[in-house]
Amino acid sequence: MYSDLLNALPEVLGLSNFLAVIIGVIAGIVVGAMPGLSATMAISVLVPFTFGLEPLVALGLMAGIYNGAMYGGAIPAVLLRIPGTPAAVATTFDGYPMAQKGEGGYALQVAVVSSAVGGIASAFALMLLAPPLSKVTLLFGPSEVFWVAVFGLASIIFLLGGNPIKGLISACFGVFVSVIGSDPIFGTDRYTSGQLELLDGISIVILLVGLYALPPVIDLLETPLKTDGVNSSKLGTEPIWKTLPRMGRFWKTWLRSSFIGIWIGILPGAGGSMAAFMSYNEARRASRTPETWGEGEPEGVAASETANNADTASALIPALTLGIPGTAVAAVAAVMLGGLLVHGLQPGPMLFRENPDVVFGFMWQFLFGAILLILLGGSLATNSFARLLNLPRPLLGSVIIVLMLIGVYSIHGRMFDVYLMLGFGAIGWVMDKLKFPLPPVVLGLILGGFAEENLRLALRIGRGDWTVLFANTTSLVLVALTVAVVVGPMVKRRLAKRDLRTKET
Amino acid sequence: MSNFMHKAVLTGAAIMLAGAAWAEYPEKPIEVIVGYSAGGGTDVMARTAAPFIEKYLGDGASVVVKNMPGASGQIGITEAAHADADGYTLGTFNLPGMMARTIDREAEYDTESFTYLANVVNDPNVIVTRKGSGLDSIDKLIEEATANPGAVTVGMSSLGGDDHFMLIKLQELTGAEFTIVPFKGSAPARTALMGGHVAMGILNISEVAEFQEELNLLGVATEERSEFAPDLPTFKEQGVDLVNGSMRGFVAPAGLPEEVEAKLVEAFAQLEADPEFIEAMNATANPVEVVTGAEFKALTQELHDLAQGVWETSPWN
Repeated sequence: MYSDLLNALPEVLGLSNFLAVIIGVIAGIVVGAMPGLSATMAISVLVPFTFGLEPLVALGLMAGIYNGAMYGGAIPAVLLRIPGTPAAVATTFDGYPMAQKGEGGYALQVAVVSSAVGGIASAFALMLLAPPLSKVTLLFGPSEVFWVAVFGLASIIFLLGGNPIKGLISACFGVFVSVIGSDPIFGTDRYTSGQLELLDGISIVILLVGLYALPPVIDLLETPLKTDGVNSSKLGTEPIWKTLPRMGRFWKTWLRSSFIGIWIGILPGAGGSMAAFMSYNEARRASRTPETWGEGEPEGVAASETANNADTASALIPALTLGIPGTAVAAVAAVMLGGLLVHGLQPGPMLFRENPDVVFGFMWQFLFGAILLILLGGSLATNSFARLLNLPRPLLGSVIIVLMLIGVYSIHGRMFDVYLMLGFGAIGWVMDKLKFPLPPVVLGLILGGFAEENLRLALRIGRGDWTVLFANTTSLVLVALTVAVVVGPMVKRRLAKRDLRTKET
Repeated sequence: MSNFMHKAVLTGAAIMLAGAAWAEYPEKPIEVIVGYSAGGGTDVMARTAAPFIEKYLGDGASVVVKNMPGASGQIGITEAAHADADGYTLGTFNLPGMMARTIDREAEYDTESFTYLANVVNDPNVIVTRKGSGLDSIDKLIEEATANPGAVTVGMSSLGGDDHFMLIKLQELTGAEFTIVPFKGSAPARTALMGGHVAMGILNISEVAEFQEELNLLGVATEERSEFAPDLPTFKEQGVDLVNGSMRGFVAPAGLPEEVEAKLVEAFAQLEADPEFIEAMNATANPVEVVTGAEFKALTQELHDLAQGVWETSPWN
C-alpha cells in the first residue's frame, strides 16, 4: 500500500496539479477570512465546475481551499474578534487580545505556523493510518456519538470558565436553535411556522455571522472616533523567520493539539470547532501560567489553530473509507465526497485499491496544501488583510457588513437567511452587552442536534431501554470523561478555596 | 363581437407562438432544477445526463443545471412545478420521496402538476447484514424477526423513503416485525451496520457495491439480477416477492406544448441505448432504467398509491 503512495507522487508534482493546490490555498485563505464565506460554500460552488477538470486538478483545488480556509478564519478572528469560520471561535480568545496589545502580526504568524503543523500532522495520519483509524469510527454508534456530544457540551460550559449559569443558558439557546427544523426521526416540522426555508434547520454559518460579526461591527460604527484599534504600525510584523524560533516553545501544544484534532476529526459529527475548543482547554490546563490565557497568550492561538487544521485531513478518513463525513456540520467533507463522486470515485474500502493514483495523490495534495500555508499564508495575511484595519472605522464596518450580507445570501441564494442573520445579530449584541458567553451557543447548535438525533436512535435500537446508553466500554469511558469535566472544576475550586478567574469570552 | 375577435386573435397568436416554439425549440438554454446540492446523487445524475440530452435534442441545445437544495428536494420540485410550461424549465424527480412528501407534509404540487418526461435511474433496494452476525440468508432473517418480533433492528435512511417502503412490503409479505432505526442518509446507516450497532440494513445496490466484502448481501429487490452485483440473487429467486427501489428522473411543469413534450421524451428515450451514457452513469453509481412519458406517469401514480396506502394503515409521523 505504501508503494502506491509513492507512485502517486510524480503525478501530483505535475504543473497543473500543483498549481491547483496553490490557487486553492490562496482562495481558501481569502474565503476563510471573509465572515460568512466558508470552505463548505467555496467547495460546493466549485463542484459543478470540476466536471470538466482532471480529477487531481479538481481535488487539488479542494484540498487547498480546505486547508487555506481553516487558517483564513483566524485572520478576522485575531484582528477583529470576528471568527471567519465556526472553527476559529477559539482563536478569538487570545488572538484578539494579542492584536489589541499590538501583537496582531505575531498572532497571525503563530496561527499560520500552527495551522500548517496541524495540517501536516493530519495529512500524515490520513496517508499512513487511514484504514486502521477507520476501524475506530466503527466503534461509535448512536449511543457513543450521543456521549461525544454531551461531553463536548459539558466541556465548553464548565471548562471555559466564567459563569457556568450564563454558559448553560447560552448553550440552551444554542440547543434550542438546533431543534428548529424537521424532526430528525419523523421529519415533522418543529418551530418552522410553515417556512420551507427552516425545514433543514438553521445553518451554523448564519448563526455564527449574526452572533459574532454583527456586534463588533455595531461597536465599530458606534465609536467612529475611537482610535485605540490596531493599525499596521502596531501590528508588530516581523519577518516570519525571525519569529519562528520564538514559537519553538509551543511544541508540546502542537503535538497535543494535533492529536486532539486528528482524533476528533475521525469521530462522526463533532468537527473543527469542537477540536479547537478542546485543545484550547487542554493546553490551558497544561500551562504553567493559566492566568495569562484569554489576555493574549500566543499559545492559545497555537492550540486552537493547530487543532482546527488537524481535523481537516483526518475528517476524510471516515469519508473515504466509509462514505460518512467526519464533520457533518461543517459539511466540508460531505461536499468533498460529492467532488469525488463526480469523478466516479466512490468512497469505500475498494477506493484505495481501484484508484490508488487519485486517492493517494489527493492525500499528497493535502500535505502540500498544509506546507504551502506557511509560504502563502504568512505574507498574505500580514501584508494584505491586516491593511484593511487601516481603513477608517465607518468604512471598515460597512465593508464587513457588505461581506456578511453577500456571504449569507449566497449560501442558499435567499433573503430569508439574511433576515435570520440580522435577527441573530440583534440577539448577539444583547448577549454581548449582558456578558453572556457566545461560544456555548455555537457548540449548542452544532452538538445539540447530534445529541438529540443520536439519543433517539440509540433508544430506538434499545427499544426504549435506557441501559443501552451504558452498554459498552466506549460509552462508559465517555460518561466518565463527562463526569470528570463537570465535577473536576468544582472539586478543584473547593480545594483551592478560591474562585477561578472569571474570563470573558 | 369585439370580444370574440379579441379571443380569436389571441388564439391565433398562441397557435403561432406554439408553432414557432416547436419549430425552433430549444432556442435558448434549458434549465434543470435539482432539488439537492451539487455533488449529491441526483445532481450527479442530472449533470451526467445533461450533455447526452443536449446531443439528442440537437441544434446546439444547451442544458443548464441549477441547484435549489432544501427540504429534501421539496423546494426545488415545487419551483419546477410552478415554472412556465414552455419546456425551458425542467426538474429532477425522485420516487417515492416526492410523492411521499405530498402525503406526510403539505406540498404545493401533486401527481397532476407535472409533464412526465423520463425516469432514468432505478437503484434497487438490497438487504444487508453484518458479516459474522449469523443472519446470512433472507430466510434466517425472517425466521428471527418472526420468532422475536422487534428484536431485529434495521438501519436505513429516513422514514417515508424507498428503504422504508421496502421494509413495509417485507413486513406485509412475511408478517415479521422489525424495529426501524432511521439514520440521516444511507452512509451512516451502513456504518452503524458495519460497527454492529444495528442488525440489518436496507440500502440501495449502488451504496453497497463497494462494500461487498464487508457485508452479507442477502438479495436484491428486482425482477432480474442487477449488473452491479451479478452474483447476488433476487428476492424473487428466493421465494419472497419483493421489488422496490429508489428512482430518479426528469419532469416538466404540467401543460407542456405537445410538440415540445414529444421532442423531450424522444431525446430522453434515446439515453438507454447509448453505451457511453450507461457507462458514465454506472461510474457514478446510477443504475440506468429508462421509463418515459405515460409509463413514467403510471409508475408515479402507483408509488403514490402505495405510499397513500401505507400512510393510512401505519403513518410514519
